[in-house]
Amino acid sequence: MGTTTSAAAEPAKVKDGPGAPAPGAGRQGRPRGKRSMGVQNAAGWLFSTPFLVLFTVFMAFPILATLLMSFTDFGLRNVTRPWEANFIGFENYTELFGDEKFLKSLFNTAYFVVVGVPLTIALGLVVAVLLNNGIDRARTFFRVGFYAPVVTTIVAVAVVWRFVLDPSDGLVAGLFSEVGLTAPDFLGSGTLAMPSMIAMAVWRNVGTVMVLFIAGLQAIPAEVREAARLDGAGVWQEFRGITVPLLRPTLLYATVITTIGYLNVFEEPFVMTQGGPSDSTLTVSLNMYREGFNFFHMGYASAMAYVLFVVIMGITVLQLRLLKDNTK
Amino acid sequence: MSRTARTASAALTVALALGVSACGGSGGDDVAADAKQTLTVWAMGAEGEKLAEVAEVYEKANPNVTVKVTPVGWDVAHQKLVSAAAAGTMPDVAQMGGSYMGEFAELGVLEPVDTKTFDKGDFFPAGWSQGEVDGTAYGVPWYVDTRVLYYRTDLAKKAGVDKAPADWQEMRSLAAAYQEKAGTKWGLSIQPSGLDTVQNFYPFLYSAGGAILDDKGEAVIDSPEAVTALKEYGAYFDKGLSNKSVQPGYDVVKDFGNGRVPMFFGGPWHVTLLNEGQPQIKGKWAVAPVPAGTSSVSMAGGSSLVVSKDSEHKAAATAFIKYLTDTEGQADWYERTKDLPANTAAWDSGKLADDANLQVFRKQMDTAKSSPSTAQLTEITDKVDQAIAKVTQGKASAEDALKTAQSEIEGIVKQ
Repeated sequence: MGTTTSAAAEPAKVKDGPGAPAPGAGRQGRPRGKRSMGVQNAAGWLFSTPFLVLFTVFMAFPILATLLMSFTDFGLRNVTRPWEANFIGFENYTELFGDEKFLKSLFNTAYFVVVGVPLTIALGLVVAVLLNNGIDRARTFFRVGFYAPVVTTIVAVAVVWRFVLDPSDGLVAGLFSEVGLTAPDFLGSGTLAMPSMIAMAVWRNVGTVMVLFIAGLQAIPAEVREAARLDGAGVWQEFRGITVPLLRPTLLYATVITTIGYLNVFEEPFVMTQGGPSDSTLTVSLNMYREGFNFFHMGYASAMAYVLFVVIMGITVLQLRLLKDNTK
Repeated sequence: MSRTARTASAALTVALALGVSACGGSGGDDVAADAKQTLTVWAMGAEGEKLAEVAEVYEKANPNVTVKVTPVGWDVAHQKLVSAAAAGTMPDVAQMGGSYMGEFAELGVLEPVDTKTFDKGDFFPAGWSQGEVDGTAYGVPWYVDTRVLYYRTDLAKKAGVDKAPADWQEMRSLAAAYQEKAGTKWGLSIQPSGLDTVQNFYPFLYSAGGAILDDKGEAVIDSPEAVTALKEYGAYFDKGLSNKSVQPGYDVVKDFGNGRVPMFFGGPWHVTLLNEGQPQIKGKWAVAPVPAGTSSVSMAGGSSLVVSKDSEHKAAATAFIKYLTDTEGQADWYERTKDLPANTAAWDSGKLADDANLQVFRKQMDTAKSSPSTAQLTEITDKVDQAIAKVTQGKASAEDALKTAQSEIEGIVKQ
């Protein structure tokens, strides 16, 4: 990608190298070059139009409208009379940080991320390493097994997990009663609802991470491993000294996308608990959805969206800094 | 408005106008009722499917009118209507749930009911009042529903009780007897927390003489009556008579059929669900009026029919609604859907008059109260839901939970 773009953007810098047929690259025949460049540009624009239109309508416009809206008191009546919305500056933002419910949802989201991300990454890595090294015959079976939750719709997942966690006749309750104990009410308890939700999210997302790691593992040359083994490295040493460092880019990528995904967590609490009991599983996204689409506090919900956006951006930048491969 | 504010709202308007095509204002000339025209109608859920049949009958009698019915799922109904309101593409006639009325009146997309054509006195008071916002009627009641107590008579016999509980005390001791003597898992099924828990709480709240908002629209949820009601509601969870953990989307019908749950508050549609889905308990259950606190008052729900303000077919729309809501149309509608007629005269003939179960609903409807018609209804009931959740989870006393709800709702009402 690099050569083509730079060639198009800065034709003057391009020398008559082997890549000469690159668009508009020639020093000779300027007029012709110019015309063909115009045609090239037109064709480029033509081919990008579908994307640009979709991007403008479904991304750029909503993003801009949300930003504008976050500085107004846009409410229900403004759905039909948007011109009556008032500009209120940063009022929505200042109000947010005095809003107990928002702070609680922020805390819940942080809880979800801090516990959920390391678990997902660790489990995904372990499963990937096991599948990549051990069990030769049933490998495909296990890969599909771990990946199945990823492609299952959340509603189906919710039905299954409700059965598993049902305190009166669920699977877990059955196991508890086998050993003479009473199962706790996982989703109905303020302290257990969040951990249960995390367990479900981890189960659902390990597959994604696993696939990434398997790809990463297979990119590690066999010679490196062999060399390590010849030098007498044990399984653990090989894992720490070879696998993890060489997986670093994959690890970084997996961590970043999992974190972003978890910061946006919405479906799990939406279908399993509706944020309850007593807001103990209310996440920022769910809170935003309810403010916006149940109560029509569009301005307020937009402000919430931007706070979440800033948080996600901050954390992502931080992760990229911390986890970046410094050896290069 | 300051200059910056004006500029900002202008900018916003332009931005929104880009996204929202054709904001309102098609108004135009009204088409006469007898002219050739097409009426667009949106109806939800089961009604949406049945209404097309009725529309065909109507078209035969009124050949100049073509009625185009679009069935809309309840789960997307609210979003669809709001988008239509924003885009100025509301159908000529729409079915609207009682809880939507306040919002859509606020949006200014509803035509006030033509009171020369429709008489308030023909309908149940609660049915009419749920179509009213700030004293103006916007919806003609189409069908009503109210919650009554469903209970298992066979299990009650086992528990040594042979009549329906008439008041709170009797209901609670029956719940305990069901558990102890008839071996049921729970005593009464009521929702502990989550969206719309308030619907389970209304029979308690109203029967105690309480309300969320008073007639003037002021919050009164911390009244002594409301506290008594919530204490009673909470007691069921406290004593293990009701399940503290009910998942969203739980359907009580199956558990009523297998005897895990011997009592619940249900609407008229549960009669059909039980007859069709749980035939093994036919004759082993009955319905009874809501057990009384100071009196027996239940919540009223149902749907109204509204005419869009922008409609060019108001005359024809009114005629169609008249057809659906007069005595005959209502009795016919009951035959098709088992929805309870909102028109009281329709109750006096045929099956409706003879069915003992239905008469319980009929009687309960006379006093039933509809939830307040205000644009912020969902927001307000959400606060009540939270208060109920705190009490059923044992996190707060009824007094404290309702005091919090009161101050929150006061804040919302003032906006």
